[in-house]
Amino acid sequence: MATRSISSRIGAVLAAPVIWLARLLNLPLKWWQGMTGTGGMAAFFLAPNMAIFGIFVLLPLVINFAYSMTSGQALFLSDRSYVGGEQYARLMDCGNYLDPTTCREDLFWIALRNTALFVVVQVSMMTVVAMITALILNREIRGRGFWRAVFFFPVLLSPVVVGLIWRWILQREGLLNFILYNVGLEPHVWLTDRFYSFVATVGVSVWAHMGFYTLILLAGLQAIPRDLYEAAEMDGTRAGRVFWRITLPLLMPNLLVVIVLALIRAVQIFDEAYVLTGGGPGTSTLYLTQYIYEVGFASLLRNPGLAAAASIIMGLILVVLTLIQLGLGRRNEKAGERK
Amino acid sequence: MGQITLSDIQRAYGNVKVLHDINLDIADGEFVVLVGPSGCGKSTLLRLLSGLDKPTAGRIEIDGKDVTQVSAADRGLAMVFQSYALYPHMSVRQNLAFGLENIQMPKAEIAERITEAARMLEITDYLDRRPGQLSGGQKQRVAIGRAVVRNPTAFLLDEPLSNLDAELRISTRAEISALHDRLKTTMIYVTHDQVEAMTLADRIVVMRAGRIEQVGRPLDLYNTPANLFVAGFIGAPRMNLLPVKIAEAGPQSVRVEGAGGLSIMVAADGSALQPGTDATLGIRPHDIRTGTGGDGSFTATVDLMEALGPETVAHATTDDGQKILAVLNGQDTTKAGDGISFAFDAGRTHLFDAEGQRLPPPRT
Repeated sequence: MATRSISSRIGAVLAAPVIWLARLLNLPLKWWQGMTGTGGMAAFFLAPNMAIFGIFVLLPLVINFAYSMTSGQALFLSDRSYVGGEQYARLMDCGNYLDPTTCREDLFWIALRNTALFVVVQVSMMTVVAMITALILNREIRGRGFWRAVFFFPVLLSPVVVGLIWRWILQREGLLNFILYNVGLEPHVWLTDRFYSFVATVGVSVWAHMGFYTLILLAGLQAIPRDLYEAAEMDGTRAGRVFWRITLPLLMPNLLVVIVLALIRAVQIFDEAYVLTGGGPGTSTLYLTQYIYEVGFASLLRNPGLAAAASIIMGLILVVLTLIQLGLGRRNEKAGERK
Repeated sequence: MGQITLSDIQRAYGNVKVLHDINLDIADGEFVVLVGPSGCGKSTLLRLLSGLDKPTAGRIEIDGKDVTQVSAADRGLAMVFQSYALYPHMSVRQNLAFGLENIQMPKAEIAERITEAARMLEITDYLDRRPGQLSGGQKQRVAIGRAVVRNPTAFLLDEPLSNLDAELRISTRAEISALHDRLKTTMIYVTHDQVEAMTLADRIVVMRAGRIEQVGRPLDLYNTPANLFVAGFIGAPRMNLLPVKIAEAGPQSVRVEGAGGLSIMVAADGSALQPGTDATLGIRPHDIRTGTGGDGSFTATVDLMEALGPETVAHATTDDGQKILAVLNGQDTTKAGDGISFAFDAGRTHLFDAEGQRLPPPRT
């Protein structure tokens, strides 16, 4: 009784300012409802969120588009000259789209090609590795909770920290070469090799984000009724057939979410790769976001208009991917309704 | 063939023993129902039989062959799950074919078996639908169909009707019974519903707390329950169990006395009993009538009368607080609060000793 009384008193003390605020707002809210009706109340409650969205998402988008229509190095829009679609034309000016050296903005096309290759390799690898990890973590293994935490841990790290950790491991005098040297193998200069640096950016980003996708797949695996596996066992189904005919089809909604989210995220690759390789050696790990950053802010002859145009193109790629996700999601919902 | 023998089966999870020395022989073609309250171990026993789980000790034989360590798939059994366990992304046809494809059966034979099972279970029209597009009863038929196409040695059915509504349960129950008559295959059926057990079984196995309490034909269990648990579990409405004292005890008969002026001589071997010891007298609600004209009678006060038309269910309380339920023939106008006299015949009573065991029949 005494405990309840103390807790109720604490509750009353905590609630007091909320009640005070509610009373304070009561009168203006009544007036507003009288003026605008119930619909106006909805607008009132949505307004703060809409304002934040407008200021921090919509407005930058519009400004970015406006920048993409201008040229020069000036920072303020009022100091820049309007050039229409010239920046887009410059980006698209190519003798042969498959050969970046024939393009006026060859780095843009190299970055686009690298990004496309990165997306294909990283998303495939991410999906397969996350799937295998989820399948293992879904089994009755010893210390399952611990292993789940271990695989999820990199997701909590800042991308810059991830990049620094792996640079420390992969650099010329890094941990990996130290281990190789001590076991009698030939050390290798991983981050200055075109192939290995690309592999490193793929591997590190898979390592960093895999936990998140594993979690989505694990949730999907756990939602598959155990009875289905027991029915399959009674039917004498081999493990491989159980995976292809039961697990995979029933996991497909989660798998689609994983693929699309991983695709969108892979297109935006920047932090880990930039810290790890700086886009090198040469342009072998120069990805689209880094190109935009360097053109807009980091190069001596910065060109915010060109960077804005490239980011608009990248935005369009992301819109297409998001629409695909929405379309697949709706198709799944409809399939779910039919079930 | 589908003869199954369970010998000294035990199952423990850590230190918790859930099945204790289960011994059971099931004849080929027999319909055996495992019945008992939740947690009694009946589903665990079925899982051990299926091979989805392994016993801690004991031996399982199918047609004389030890299958204790044989995998579920190689036991030749088929199981119908409580949740149906149909693959939701496959059509009914694919669900039925899945197990047969696993054993690389020729396509023509698979098609033939599906057609035959679908015709038998009246699911031909749904073969191209997915489980999500079927009603509960249709799903249940598909689940049974999936078992039927495998042509198993025995069917294992784990509470297959528990997800159906009352009306559908009755009709599906009849269909399962008809299916058994047609296939003549051994069926082992788990349920907690004693009505299902009574209506379906050739033999019922009553279980409690991991042990078999009694095995027998439905009417044998109803007429001569071996102990108080079976007496209370089998039969609806539940048997009245009245606390009584042994007044006289002999090898041919036992006289007991109880509340409400109850005194009755029951034919049983009471030679092991001492006068004055506690016992329990069981009387089924349908064996009680109003009046004083029976071998035994007692008085009580009516709490509630439920008029069902052809019969009336009387809820009453004796003067020592014992609740009584009687199903009286015809329509009775007695009101709540009125006194009532109940009578019954000694031949319809069941006498249990202080340990809850049924007294043996009178010595001949």
